[in-house]
Amino acid sequence: MTDRQVNDVSQFAVKSHDATKDVQKTVTPRTSSPGDRRARLLAKTQERIASEEKIVLDWLRNQPDYRPSLAYFLELLSDRRIAAIESRCQRKAIRLLCNQIPLELILAAGFQPFKVVSGSSAEASYSAHNWPALMCPLIKGILTALELDPDLAQGAWVAPTSCDWVVKFWEARQRVMAGTGQIQWLELPHLKNRPESQKRWLEEVRAFHRYLEKLKGGKIARQALIQSIEAINRAWTAIISLKKARRDGRLSLGWFLAIMGAFFLDRLERWTSQVESLVLELEREPTGGEVFGARVFLAGSPIFFPNFKAPILLETAGLKVVADDLCSSERIFPGGQVFEDVSEYGLLASLAGRYHQGCLCPTFGDNERRVNNILSQRRESSFQGVVFVVLKGCHPYDLESTTIEETLKNYGLRFLRLETDYAPEDRQNLLTRLEAFGHSLSGVR
Amino acid sequence: MTIKAGFDLGSTAIKVVLADGEKILWSGKTPTAPGQLTLAQELLGKGLAELGLTADSVSQVAATGYGKRLCGLAEAQIDEIRANSLGLFRLSEGRARHIVNIGGQDIKLIRLDDRGLVSDFKMNDKCAAGTGRFFELVARLLDTPITEFSRLSQESTENITLNSTCVVFAESEMVSLMAKGVGNSDIIKALHAAVARRVAAMMGRSDLGEGVWLDGGPAMNRALVEAMEDELMTDVFVLEKPQYTVAYGAVLSLGL
Repeated sequence: MTDRQVNDVSQFAVKSHDATKDVQKTVTPRTSSPGDRRARLLAKTQERIASEEKIVLDWLRNQPDYRPSLAYFLELLSDRRIAAIESRCQRKAIRLLCNQIPLELILAAGFQPFKVVSGSSAEASYSAHNWPALMCPLIKGILTALELDPDLAQGAWVAPTSCDWVVKFWEARQRVMAGTGQIQWLELPHLKNRPESQKRWLEEVRAFHRYLEKLKGGKIARQALIQSIEAINRAWTAIISLKKARRDGRLSLGWFLAIMGAFFLDRLERWTSQVESLVLELEREPTGGEVFGARVFLAGSPIFFPNFKAPILLETAGLKVVADDLCSSERIFPGGQVFEDVSEYGLLASLAGRYHQGCLCPTFGDNERRVNNILSQRRESSFQGVVFVVLKGCHPYDLESTTIEETLKNYGLRFLRLETDYAPEDRQNLLTRLEAFGHSLSGVR
Repeated sequence: MTIKAGFDLGSTAIKVVLADGEKILWSGKTPTAPGQLTLAQELLGKGLAELGLTADSVSQVAATGYGKRLCGLAEAQIDEIRANSLGLFRLSEGRARHIVNIGGQDIKLIRLDDRGLVSDFKMNDKCAAGTGRFFELVARLLDTPITEFSRLSQESTENITLNSTCVVFAESEMVSLMAKGVGNSDIIKALHAAVARRVAAMMGRSDLGEGVWLDGGPAMNRALVEAMEDELMTDVFVLEKPQYTVAYGAVLSLGL
């Protein structure tokens, strides 16, 4: 081989190439900062919530019992932003967690009571990675709702110390929206029958009264309190008629829950008037005759819009819910108020008694009335079984379901416990159980 | 001759039973895949051809299972729990009081009264622990056909414990056992015991004096049946073709 040839061959030698640069090439990311990513996640969550809500709103609109007078409630459910509610009601809203807060006092002080809830699977999922897996989905969802609607995080919040999740909520929200809003606690005694507990609770209600006066910047007139008690009594009378319409098969479970879900979204008088008109309409029509399908009582964890998985499946399975004891539905407040002593102290004592003694929340240690209520409703509504829905992470209902099941079975009632969450994936599994339960109630082979 | 057809459209397999009154003339199955209606039609066609019948011979069709609403062939639909109770009660000649059905993606425990009516039932929540899907995962992981599980389990020489029937946790537990050199037969035996424990936990404190009837595809696994007998401490009865009881119940729901 000549030198020349060597030189020629060298022309074909592989050129030295630094591959590191190829590996280092990056595709321009869509997210440039953690803040951007959060904004995109929130936007995506908002889209998903809208899609969940649309499915349920369309379902409600397509129910056989839909009528134009129900459009009002659909409209309320379609916009539950705090700004929309305050604008609709022309007054400031007080954000509430749980049911033990006397609504009459808030109304008498000139505020709009607004129970903060979340029934959205997308809302609960957004917060999931930040919190324990077996955490109440309602609280998880609310923590997301605060990020989605910063107006909601502001303002006055009131929380009774009911379940552990509610108690720890304020601490949790500091991680999400630190420094926003103010909390007013009502320390709820968990024994109803002890005189010391009743006295303690009355003190809490009186302190709440003082808090509202401070917030209002003036005294709450006794007459205003009597008027708000009467307004709540009127709403309760309307709810009783609505319950009867459902029991008689004139109103579906889905619509009953939707109407109750709209309770805090408008001025009480307007909501009550709409319910009264609806009831009049329903009462003018002949009943569908005998209610077909197995009659059941619905109990357990609350059902908040748009988590209508259970009602949709119950109706798909042909089960007729004739009564319930959900704190999102029939137990939204503890009935009407009877009072003899019209002094301020007398009115407050009467309210305190009803919101404590009349509450059937499973967080109470002495809660025999819960079972007694189901049994007395059975006499009124003649249902054959109880469907008890437990939200994963809702520990008080979960625990109580076992004792309630045992007791009710001793009284000859069939019992079906469904454990679920807001996610839709277990629908088929739940439907199979509900169908079989319905057939077992009607004795069909 | 007119016959009736019952479909069980499960998550793993579509099963069909063709019957003349109570008498089963033909049964067959095909794996579940997209296009369940076509698969069901083909399966029905196969059965009819083997019986020398035509589609006109089928007077009524009932469907059950997760895909029951997808099966346009059926004029009647019935839930799986009721279909299971009807089928097994009849096939057991009225003896069954407790049914354990292990399906592709769920476990059902059904209690019957002496007329064969469902008096109580339980189902697992959305979790594949201990179901047919769990067995499939283990088969893939061990690279061993499910049909070999029974034989291999009986060859086991060492007692080991699988702590979880959660598909995810059990997988990592099994990988760890394999890494330690534990043999497939020992792992499979432990798997059967774990599934039996899960069923027993779901059963709770029920009185199982009359024994338990096991059905669904996994009931063909003799080693699983023995593991359940050990765990439940009662007799476990299995029919010869335990995967067809639900489809048969669908036929019976049409009336005789």
